[in-house]
Amino acid sequence: MADLTSQNKTLLTLSGVSKHFGGTQALVGVDISFERGKVHSLIGENGAGKSTLGKVLLGVHQPDAGEMMLDGEAIHLRNPAQGNDRGLVGISQELSLLQNRSVADNISLGREITRGPFVDAKKTRENVLATMERFNMHLDPDVHVGALPVAEQQKVEILRALSRDARLIVFDEPTARLASHQAEQLLELVRSLANSGAAIVYVSHFLDEVLKVSDTISILRNGKLIRTSDRKTETRDSLIVGVTGQEVQNQFPPLSPPDLQAPPVLSVRGISRAGEFEDISLDIRPGEILGLAGLVGSGRSEVAHAIYGASPLDKGQISFAGADLSKASVSDCLKNGMALVPESRRDQGLMLSRSLLENVSLPHLRQFSGVLGLNKKREYEEVDLRCKETRVKHEGLRHPVDMLSGGNQQKILFARAAVGQPKLLIADEPTRGVDVGAKRSIYDLIVNLANQGEAILLISSEIEEIMGLCHRVIVMSRGRISKELVQDNLTEQAVMNAAFSGG
Amino acid sequence: MPLLVGDKMQKLVLFARNYGIAVITLLLFVLLAATTDGFATERNFRNILDQQSTVLIAASFMTIAIIAGNFDVSVSAVFVTAPLFALTVENATGSVTLAVLVGIIVGLAMGAFNGLVVTRFKVNSFIGTLATSFMFFGAGYLISDRSLMRPAGDIYQQIARTRYFGITSATWIAIIVVIIAALLLSRTRFGRNVFATGGNQEAARLAGVNVSRVQATTFILLGGAAALAGILNSSRSISAQPSDDFSFVFTVLTAVIVGGTSIAGGQGAIWRTITAAFFLAFLSNGFNLHQIDPIWQRLIQGMVILLAVGVDAWTQRRAG
Ligand SMILES: Nc1ncnc2c1ncn2[C@@H]1O[C@H](COP(=O)(O)OP(=O)(O)OP(=O)(O)O)[C@@H](O)[C@H]1O
Ligand SMILES: [Mg+2]
Repeated sequence: MADLTSQNKTLLTLSGVSKHFGGTQALVGVDISFERGKVHSLIGENGAGKSTLGKVLLGVHQPDAGEMMLDGEAIHLRNPAQGNDRGLVGISQELSLLQNRSVADNISLGREITRGPFVDAKKTRENVLATMERFNMHLDPDVHVGALPVAEQQKVEILRALSRDARLIVFDEPTARLASHQAEQLLELVRSLANSGAAIVYVSHFLDEVLKVSDTISILRNGKLIRTSDRKTETRDSLIVGVTGQEVQNQFPPLSPPDLQAPPVLSVRGISRAGEFEDISLDIRPGEILGLAGLVGSGRSEVAHAIYGASPLDKGQISFAGADLSKASVSDCLKNGMALVPESRRDQGLMLSRSLLENVSLPHLRQFSGVLGLNKKREYEEVDLRCKETRVKHEGLRHPVDMLSGGNQQKILFARAAVGQPKLLIADEPTRGVDVGAKRSIYDLIVNLANQGEAILLISSEIEEIMGLCHRVIVMSRGRISKELVQDNLTEQAVMNAAFSGG
Repeated sequence: MPLLVGDKMQKLVLFARNYGIAVITLLLFVLLAATTDGFATERNFRNILDQQSTVLIAASFMTIAIIAGNFDVSVSAVFVTAPLFALTVENATGSVTLAVLVGIIVGLAMGAFNGLVVTRFKVNSFIGTLATSFMFFGAGYLISDRSLMRPAGDIYQQIARTRYFGITSATWIAIIVVIIAALLLSRTRFGRNVFATGGNQEAARLAGVNVSRVQATTFILLGGAAALAGILNSSRSISAQPSDDFSFVFTVLTAVIVGGTSIAGGQGAIWRTITAAFFLAFLSNGFNLHQIDPIWQRLIQGMVILLAVGVDAWTQRRAG
């Protein structure tokens, strides 16, 4: 790690950096500098340019204009390899590991120690172990990365970055996929990396997290740097105002109570699937938001998939809107009025190379099909309407979705669900990677749907979300229901206790 | 990090992928028309159209299968074997209609078998259809008793060789089939499901797409198209012969790949495949008219394929 006593503390300085993609101005004349030993957070709305700035630092994107100075010396990175060579490394929003190789292989990838033409496996491995030792992050070096849970995979990625003598590390939404206690650990790690002299660039939508971990906070809006300030001068509210440009409003929209006399729209009785979940029963009424809480891996998503017809049941019944859907397929469930916003938008939600239009209309093409094939005009109008309703920020419905920022990709999945006018919406971690403003608009969407009489099954690992949005909460633990909580019983503490209970 | 090239390069590569083939084909066309006697004549164009008809039919549906995420090597075997079935029926019954019908049904059935192997038994499509190829070739030897077959009557040869407005029926049939394939891909639910399946199989499944059915259907359609192409070919040459000849599928694949359809699935267009087929046809036609050694033709063709695949690999890495 760099020697703190030598020269000044500034490691990397950008001046007047701009970057555009087609008609989108992703960065506009940004002046910013990063210091050794400091955690510098970047916050801002979806599409504000945070990831783009991170990628410029790493050499992934080349700025259209502006200067980059590393240690007082002008640099022009033409690709990420050149960035890596200078100790500029990134932990990406989406993990980029070789799933079928061991932990040690992944960490040493591209930096294997060689003797002549051969890889010196023993030395390479010792090196990996030494890195683990130095940063006190211990993993079994021989297991396949694919077999590890997400939090551990992320550690592998971090270790890989560290094994390269990183001088500047960009973390792009590292906690978006972690459970809260794992996030805590990660924050500690980030702090300790800064203390050992690295410059940290930290991108996140979790303001509490940002306030906890940062020394310096910069706010981006529409590609412009709004301000850079000392952490001590900021509060949660001041950050929200900075990010959204609007006064602080309540984090959650007001809920209206569901009609408790109405019969449930979804009734699940004793469903099981070997190795995933056991004996799950639940009801949801029209207009009710039922929370499904629990730790990552407690079987929540699996239950959701089973209800949605995506995986078959071993036992039990599902009845929905008067129909028996115990053996239904996904398309049966869609036809009967279910919709799913899946947990991972990239792996389970979107065809990244295809257009917004195709992504939104895909489950509902029947609706636009006649004897002459697709009625493209009607399809376009409907999709356009739904995208406007859900306030997707885009450059055109025919552009591929991989060019959108993470939060906007998430909204596309809501627009897709809305086309079907479902009776039940299953939303699995719906605000993952979504900015404060957009979070509120997704909450508004969910609450509005409930007010219109839709039933909502909300899976979330964010306890505030569960507390703020749900009428009733079921907590899962190790594949079973460990508690059902309503009204007075529904407290943060009760949810946490139930989640950690043996089940 | 997935990105290995700069932004400028990316844009260029993306443009090349989408419209490069059209630009290059147009340039080649103008060049040949200006420099080569006998190229820009009605007769030459009619010939090229007629020669390309079988490739166009199979390549259109090959494009669809590849967009859905699969390869089909068995196109050659169907192309060789289906006409042997058709001629067997023709020889036995004298009915050409029945012969064509049986030939195409055999193709569809072979496609269905491929679909079963790939979607039900989860065999890699390249390997799976390589294996079924040998089975289909074998069936061809069995049905023909290892010998050259000829039609008994003289109607069979009319299938491909009748002229309407100076253009052969094979060409007309190809035009119709290409249009059907293009409409199927761009204007129907099935077409969207094909793109979605190739683009992200799990996401397609969760959006209610019956992924296995979509993929199997692409195989079945391709089998039928390959059989039709084989029948036209046998009608044109008034004979059919069993063999283990894989060359047809390579011609077809070349057109699809040079047309920029991604071998990773999820992207491609029939018009580009068709344009590429003509590009390749013009190229070899030009060489022939200039009487250049066919060896050069191969070298150039190889380079063209590498270029196309290189562009594909680059854009894939971008999407990473
Ligand atoms: N490779 C690209 N091609 C085209 N446009 C892009 C590309 N990358 C980003 N953009 C656009 O640039 C803008 C900034 O995107 P960026 O990913 O930096 O946002 P972000 O602040 O990281 O958002 P999020 O919080 O949603 O991750 C967006 O409008 C996005 O659509
Ligand atoms: Mg981002």
